[in-house]
Amino acid sequence: MSELRMYDSQIAIVMQECPDANEEEIGKEFERYERDFLIPPEDALRSVIKKFQTDSGSDEASSGQPRVQPEEKKVDRFSELEADDRNVTIEVAVISHTPRTQMVRGEERQISFGWIEDNPWNSSSDRVRWDYKDWGDKSSSLVPGSVVRLEGVSVNEWNDKRSLNINRTTRVTVLKEGGVTAAPVGDEPISISRASEIEGFVNIVGRVLTSKADVITRKDGSGEIPIFRGRIADSTGSIGFLSWKDFEYESGSLIKIVGASIRRFRDTPEININDGTVIERYRDSAFPTSEELSKSDKVTIADLRNGMRDVTITLQVESWAQRTFETKDGETKVVRSGDVMDPSGRCRLTAWCDFDPEPGDAIRIAGGRVQFWQGSPDLVIDDIEQASNLSDSPWEKIDPDNHWVEVDLTSITNGGSRRGILTEGTVVFINSGSGIIERCPECRRVLREGSCAEHGQQNGIEDLRLRFVIDNGVSNANLFLGKEASEKFLGSNMDEVREKISVRGSDDFLSQLRSRVLAKKILVNGRCAVDGQGAMIFADRVELIDPEPNKEAEEVMEKWGLSL
Amino acid sequence: MQSGGEMRVRQSAIRIFAQEYSESSLIERGVGEFAPLFVITKLGAKINRCLVCGGLESLERRDGDSGAFYRGRVRDPSGTHFFDIAPFQPELHPAAEELLARFETGDSVLVSIVGRAKHTESEEGGIFTSIRAEIFTEVDQETYRSWMVETADSTLRRLDAYSRTEGLDLNGAELSEADVPDDLIDGLIKAREHYSDFDMESYKLWVLKALSNVTGKMEGEMEVFTSVKEDASISKNEIKIEATDAREVILGLLSSNSGEMVDYDSLVGACISAGSTREESEDAIEDLRDVSMKILEPRFGYFSIVEK
Repeated sequence: MSELRMYDSQIAIVMQECPDANEEEIGKEFERYERDFLIPPEDALRSVIKKFQTDSGSDEASSGQPRVQPEEKKVDRFSELEADDRNVTIEVAVISHTPRTQMVRGEERQISFGWIEDNPWNSSSDRVRWDYKDWGDKSSSLVPGSVVRLEGVSVNEWNDKRSLNINRTTRVTVLKEGGVTAAPVGDEPISISRASEIEGFVNIVGRVLTSKADVITRKDGSGEIPIFRGRIADSTGSIGFLSWKDFEYESGSLIKIVGASIRRFRDTPEININDGTVIERYRDSAFPTSEELSKSDKVTIADLRNGMRDVTITLQVESWAQRTFETKDGETKVVRSGDVMDPSGRCRLTAWCDFDPEPGDAIRIAGGRVQFWQGSPDLVIDDIEQASNLSDSPWEKIDPDNHWVEVDLTSITNGGSRRGILTEGTVVFINSGSGIIERCPECRRVLREGSCAEHGQQNGIEDLRLRFVIDNGVSNANLFLGKEASEKFLGSNMDEVREKISVRGSDDFLSQLRSRVLAKKILVNGRCAVDGQGAMIFADRVELIDPEPNKEAEEVMEKWGLSL
Repeated sequence: MQSGGEMRVRQSAIRIFAQEYSESSLIERGVGEFAPLFVITKLGAKINRCLVCGGLESLERRDGDSGAFYRGRVRDPSGTHFFDIAPFQPELHPAAEELLARFETGDSVLVSIVGRAKHTESEEGGIFTSIRAEIFTEVDQETYRSWMVETADSTLRRLDAYSRTEGLDLNGAELSEADVPDDLIDGLIKAREHYSDFDMESYKLWVLKALSNVTGKMEGEMEVFTSVKEDASISKNEIKIEATDAREVILGLLSSNSGEMVDYDSLVGACISAGSTREESEDAIEDLRDVSMKILEPRFGYFSIVEK
């Protein structure tokens, strides 16, 4: 009891409100909040009072739970509505929309009003017109002449006249567009790095790095189309271009391109210049020179994307081999390939020419291209001219056995597929398909109820895997642990896991997994594959990181310049 | 990276304290059937999924029209998160029962919850935010403390980004230029358009409090308080003006509740979602009860309106 003295003043307040409660228990409750939940007594007061009120039989029926949204009411005509209907869904034609700025609680708010008509798909003689008020700033969707579906509107009755309220939470779905609202393209140029992230029409200013005439052969054999290909750069990066019209600007020219479109070839953005695009010379003496730009145009393995061309990169060879195969036409061909590394990661290099470096060699590739092989980038050269051996390595020799590159999760999801990465994240999901699974003997797909989507009923091959989602608050990735990584992480082999699951069930297995890893930070070594659906990481090794909250707190305070 | 594919990319779990989440009143709903719903906070966090943690304060099983569900509250240093475990996720119910049994032993139970943003709108237009749990587990105190640090970090990051937007034109290029992180740009533009100015220092205060709870350096707290007090005095005038609003919200809520009592947290919640700060709401309740005597507190924490 004496230790609980420190809560005396708070206990007194609680006793006032809950006279039947026991002082010692109240003290223990405060202690519990402070010790277990790290919430000091002055902050815990209301929680504690609530608890003792509840304990002493006061019900919580009218307590602070959010009210339940009234059930949705779907109607076709205004006449079906009652004065107090809420959460109504109806399709209407927008007749007018008048924006008005109104002061609400000292704040300027855009509250618009206008007319809408029900029965929008039929002739206007058979429609009923109501007023509406738009509290939710839906101007962009409520264009006169359009037909919209309103979900979550409420009826308002005033002086016997009914109208509809469109609320902030109302969902407005445009079913038929109204007046023409072509989005005008401004002519402000954007940076090349920004242009590389978007799709659609852009304007850029950049310096031509390379440009050469090329042809595209029509698939139907009806001839060739002359085009120009090249690269253009600014201080933020470079991008390839493809011009369908004459491109007269030589390397080194500084130009402004207005109204070109960004297209993607595989994962690589490219600027398309066509008849509607305007190109003009641009003057800016402060713009970086070609030399400066091409220096920064060198890429690392981390930058490689499927479909890239004109790649200039320095690498260290890890292994090299050649094999001979026969093409369909019976021709014998040689292909050489191996693993290569740089400080940013590792990838494969394939050579369709007589290139024979030794493991450990530093090499330079110019004009290489990238294609993907099993989700990882494969750098390809077609001509021996594209490769050269460097006598000196530009960096200290990398030890291939210990080459893991630390990458944070956000760089992984924003970057390309790569091998040899080390990253961390918090486990925020455990897929219920974790544990013992059966795979199709034909294609290794996971069987569902003994059946493969492709090959039908099968005698499956047992396998062990774990599937998590890891997340750092900004980005997330699916994490796959195959048999070996799973066994290491679980500390038991597949037979032991099978045994455990057969005795205690898979729910129990998942429940244990959840309490061990959910909301915990983990460290992952592996490779990643990134596509439009997000990032996948295939783990070689996974380990839990022990939390060190004191140290972490100090780091955070230092980072934001705070002190306690 | 086709734009169609982007829709299905999983939303990341925002680390967020209860206070910031409960003060949110801006909901964004994308167009299209599977477009995600976001609760946008004053600091511009766009929350579709979140990771929260705290002491389990209540958990109960209820029966609804579509089956059994669970409802509970978790307490963190800044306030309380409301969560539920939906009837349409029966796969979570065994774990919910297990947690309920743990809770009913009377032991202190710390939980981590990953869940989706949910909201309900009251008749007065107030927004109540809550969480629909997707997965959850009991955690140890080290994990809880580590979560507090991470959440303090992510809140400070938002505060920093928020302060960078001051005086800027609200467009992506301008914010990007001011080094506002990409993931916060859209939310910040919408938050600044929707919410009125607020006292950033009070946010900083409970973030610091959380950090001091983690490290146990409680003695330093007073210093923080005093250094913040000076700045806070500037906003005092605004509080006076806006207090009438909070009073209207309270009177409206009580009179529309047909004589039933309404609890303190709901009143404060309604005021906050109508744009008042916690402090203003609490002042308004006291003022109505003690000064103008328009409301009664028949039982501690429960209020009703004085009948004319």
